[in-house]
Amino acid sequence: MQDLRVQFFVSEGTVTAVDGVSFEVDRGEIVGIVGESGSGKTMTALSLLRLIPEPGRITNGRILYGEKDIAQMTDEEIREFRGNEVAMIFQDPMTSLNPVLRIGFQVEEAMAAHSRFTNQQSRDRVVPMLQRVRIPAAKDRVRDYPHQFSGGMRQRGMIAMGVSNEPSLLIADEPTTALDVTVQASIIELLRDLSRELRASVILITHNMALVASLCNRVIVMYAGRIVEQGPTRAIFKNPQHPYTWSLLRSMPRMDEVGHERLVSIRGLPPDLSKMPPGCKFHPRCRFRIDKCLTEEPPLAEVDPAQDARCWVLMKNIPNPEAEALK
Amino acid sequence: MRGTLVYIGQRLVLIAVTTILVSSIVFLLLHQIPGNAFLNETRQTPEALAAQLHHYGLDLPLPQQYSNWVNGVVHGNLGESLVNHGVKITPLLLRETSVSATVGFFALFVTIGLGLLLGVIAALRQNTWVDYFASSAAVVGYSIPSFVIAIFALLVFGHYFYIWTQGTVYYNVGWGDWTQIPVPAIALGLPYASYVARLTRASMLETIRTDYVRTAWAKGLKARIVVLRHALRNALIPVVTILGPLITGIITGSVVIENIFGIPGLGKEFITSILARDYNIVIGVFTFYAALVGLANLTVDVIYPMLDPRIRY
Amino acid sequence: MAQAAPISQPEVELTYEVPEQVTLLNDAWRRLKRNRIALVGAVIIGILLIVALISIIWTPYPVWLQAVGPTYQTPSLKHPLGLDQAGRDILSRIMGGALITVEVGIGSAIILSLIGIPLGLIAGFYRGKVDTIISFFINIWYGIPDLLVALILVFVLSDALHLIPRGVLVIIIAFALTRWMDVARLVRGQTLSLREREFVEAARMGGARDFAMLTRHIFPNALGPIIVQATFAIPAAVLFEAFLSFLGLGLPPPTPSWGAMAADGYHGMDFAPHIVLAPTVALSLTLMAFNWLGDGLRDAFDPRMKR
Repeated sequence: MQDLRVQFFVSEGTVTAVDGVSFEVDRGEIVGIVGESGSGKTMTALSLLRLIPEPGRITNGRILYGEKDIAQMTDEEIREFRGNEVAMIFQDPMTSLNPVLRIGFQVEEAMAAHSRFTNQQSRDRVVPMLQRVRIPAAKDRVRDYPHQFSGGMRQRGMIAMGVSNEPSLLIADEPTTALDVTVQASIIELLRDLSRELRASVILITHNMALVASLCNRVIVMYAGRIVEQGPTRAIFKNPQHPYTWSLLRSMPRMDEVGHERLVSIRGLPPDLSKMPPGCKFHPRCRFRIDKCLTEEPPLAEVDPAQDARCWVLMKNIPNPEAEALK
Repeated sequence: MRGTLVYIGQRLVLIAVTTILVSSIVFLLLHQIPGNAFLNETRQTPEALAAQLHHYGLDLPLPQQYSNWVNGVVHGNLGESLVNHGVKITPLLLRETSVSATVGFFALFVTIGLGLLLGVIAALRQNTWVDYFASSAAVVGYSIPSFVIAIFALLVFGHYFYIWTQGTVYYNVGWGDWTQIPVPAIALGLPYASYVARLTRASMLETIRTDYVRTAWAKGLKARIVVLRHALRNALIPVVTILGPLITGIITGSVVIENIFGIPGLGKEFITSILARDYNIVIGVFTFYAALVGLANLTVDVIYPMLDPRIRY
Repeated sequence: MAQAAPISQPEVELTYEVPEQVTLLNDAWRRLKRNRIALVGAVIIGILLIVALISIIWTPYPVWLQAVGPTYQTPSLKHPLGLDQAGRDILSRIMGGALITVEVGIGSAIILSLIGIPLGLIAGFYRGKVDTIISFFINIWYGIPDLLVALILVFVLSDALHLIPRGVLVIIIAFALTRWMDVARLVRGQTLSLREREFVEAARMGGARDFAMLTRHIFPNALGPIIVQATFAIPAAVLFEAFLSFLGLGLPPPTPSWGAMAADGYHGMDFAPHIVLAPTVALSLTLMAFNWLGDGLRDAFDPRMKR
C-alpha cells in the first residue's frame, strides 16, 4: 500500500479517515494493525478490498497486489479478486452472517462465486471446510442457520467462508472482540494454524495488544488515520518509540512485570477527525511533547533498523519516562 | 412440520370462533332493528305476513333465532334472502366471492409487484431524482382514495379512451370478460402499492447497510446476487408483516370499487343488501368477510417463517 | 538531543463543546421545521382550516341553494368551479365540504384518543386481568374489516334505531368505535415499556399515586407516537367519511360532503366531468397534506433519525 488516503464527504465537510498510509506485507507474514476506534485501521483494511462505504472514497494512493493496483481495478476484476486472492473476516459474526441463509450455503456461495471451483465442487467442499475450522459435527450442522450457532462457532463459520478459496492474504478485523475470552484463544490458534497451512499472509486488526504479541510478526500502530509507528513485534514491545505506543503498552497489565509498575492511562479522548489540530496529531494527549510538536507534523522516520516512528521526541531520548508520566 | 400443522389447526379453530363471535355482534345489532324487512312490500295480508315471518323463523324468540343461526353457520347454511325469496345465501355468496377474489388477487399482484419494484429501485438509487420521484409518487399514491383513482381511471379509460371498460359503466355488459379485470384491480391495488413501495424502500435501505451485505460484497459475489439474495430477502421480512392488514385493506376497498365498476362481487352485494334491508344477506356477507380476513392473516403467518427461519412456532 | 521539557501550559485543546440542552419537543420541532414536504402539508392544512372557518360565516352562494344557474354548467367567471346537477355552486359547496372535513377529521381524532389513550394506559400500567380483557377486545377487532362494521354501525344507529341522526356525529362515533384499538395498542405498548424505566420507580418511591404517575410521567413520554398516530387518524377518518358518503350511507343530502359530491359527479361523469373533479382533487390534496405532515412528525420524533 502506498500513500493511501481515504476521505469521507459529508455535509459538514470532509473527514480524512486515512492519510498517507504506506506499508508492505510479505508472503507468510502476520502483520498486526493496532489503534483505537477511529484510528483508521478498519478503513485501511476495507480499502484493500475496495469496500469503503459511501460517502467515502479512496482519494489518493496505490494498492499494489503483485503488479496490479487494486485502486484502479475494474469492477469485474475486483469482484473476482474479493474472497479469492484476498479475503476478509469481520468483527461480529452475528451481524456479519446472513440470518436467513444456512451456514453451509453461505460457505458454498463464497466458493461458487469464483471460477476456481464448479458448483458441484463448491458444494462438496463445504463440509471439509467446516471441519477444517474445527466445527464439531460439521456434517450435521451444515444445514443450520447462524442463530443456531454459538458465537465461537459463528466466527469459525466466517473463517471457513474466508479461507474457502485459499486466499494469499487474509484480513481479520477484530476477530475475537465479540467473543468470550475462553473462545478467543481457540480462534487465535485456529488462525495461526490456518495461515501456516495455507501459507497465507494475515493482516490482523485489533486494539488488543496481547493478541498482537502472541500472533504477529510485525506491528503497525495507527493513530488518527496515520501510521505512527511500525516494526517487528518484539522490537515494538520492548522498545516502543512513539509515545502513543508506549502509553498503550503501559496501560495494559503485563504478566512479566507484575507488581513493578503502575498502570498509566492515556489522557484525553480519541481525536475528532473533522477537527484535527495542527502539528503532530497526538500532541494534545502526549505527555512528552515539545513546542515543535504543536506546529509541525513529524514524518515517519526510521529510528532503528526495521522500526519507524513518527515523532520528534522519541522515547529513547527520554531518560525516565515512567517518572514523567506519573507526575 | 408437525408443529406447523398443529399451529394451523389451532388457528383455524380460532378463526372459526372469531368469525362466529364477530358475526354474532352484527346479528344482534341488526336484530335490534324494530320493524322488519317486509314492511317495504306492499299489499300483504296479515296472514301472508305472518307466514313470511314464520318461514324465516322471525317469529321465534331472539335467543332461539340466534342458536338456529349459529347452528346454520356451523353447517355452512347461511339462510335465505329476505328480499329475493327462495334464494339461498351460501351459494350466492360463494359465487360472488369468486368474482371478488379474482379482482382481489389481481389487485394484490399489482400491489406487491409494483410496490416491490418501485421500492427496490428507489432504494438502490437513493437520493437521486429517481428516488425522490418514486417516493413522492408513493405518498401521492396512498393518499388518494381508491375510489378517486377508480373515478379517474373510468374517466380516462371509459370517457376519453373508451377501451377496456366499455364506457363508464359495467352494468349493461355483465361480467365475464377478462378485460374487465385490470382497471378495477389497478384502482384497488394502487394505494397499497405505494405503501408497499415506501416500506420496501425503507427496509432495503437498512439491509443494504448491514454487516452481512458487506460480507457478501467481500466474498466477491455478483451484484445481482447481493441485492436479491442477501439484501432483498431480508428486506422483505418487515414487508410481509403488513401483508395481513394489506389484504384486509384490499377487501375493504373492494366494497367501494365493486360498486363503482358494477362488479358483481361481495362488496356490491353488501351495499345492495344494506340498502335493501336484506339483513340475512348482510349478516352472511359479513360472516364471509370475517372468515376471509382470518384465512388471509393465517396464510401470512404461515408464510412468515418461510422467509425468516428465526421464527418457529 | 532535544530534551523533553515537562509541559506546564494549560490544557488548550481539551475543550469539550457542550451541546445546548434540548428537550424532546424542541428537538422534534426543529427537525420538523427542516422537513420541507411536511411544511407544505402543514400549509395546505392551514388553508383548509381557514376555508372551513370562513365557510361558517360566508360562502359565495348558499351551499344548499339550487338552480343558481343552469344545471351542469361548466366553470365560468361567475362560478369558478361550475354548477352541479342541481344547479348549486360547486365552489361554495367545496368550502362547506372543507368544514365537514375538518369536523370529521379532528372530531374523530379527538374521540379516538379519548377512548384509546385511557384504555391503553390502564391496560399497560395495571396489566393482569384488566389488560387481558382489553387486549382480548383489541385482538378480536384486529382482523375485521373495520369499514364494514362501521358501515353497519352507521346504518343501525341512524337509519334503523334512529338513535343519532345521520350526521357528522354518528360517523365520528362509528369510526372511533372501530379504530380505537390502534391507539390503545400503541399506548399500551408504550406504557408497558415506560413503566419499567427508572423514573417511574423513582416516582413511586417518592410516594406518587397511580393517577399522578400515569398523567405526569408516563403519558407525556408516550406523547410523541400518540401525536403521530392521531395525525394519521385524521386522514383515515376523512377517508372513511368520504367512502361512506360516496356509497350513499354517509351524510345526508344536501350536506356538501366531498364524498357525496364525488358520488353526484360520478353519476354525471360522461357529460359533466367537472363536477367530479373538484371534490376529488380537494380530497386528495387534503389527504396528501395530512400524510406529509404525519410523515414529517414521525421522522421528527424518531430518535433514530438523529444525524
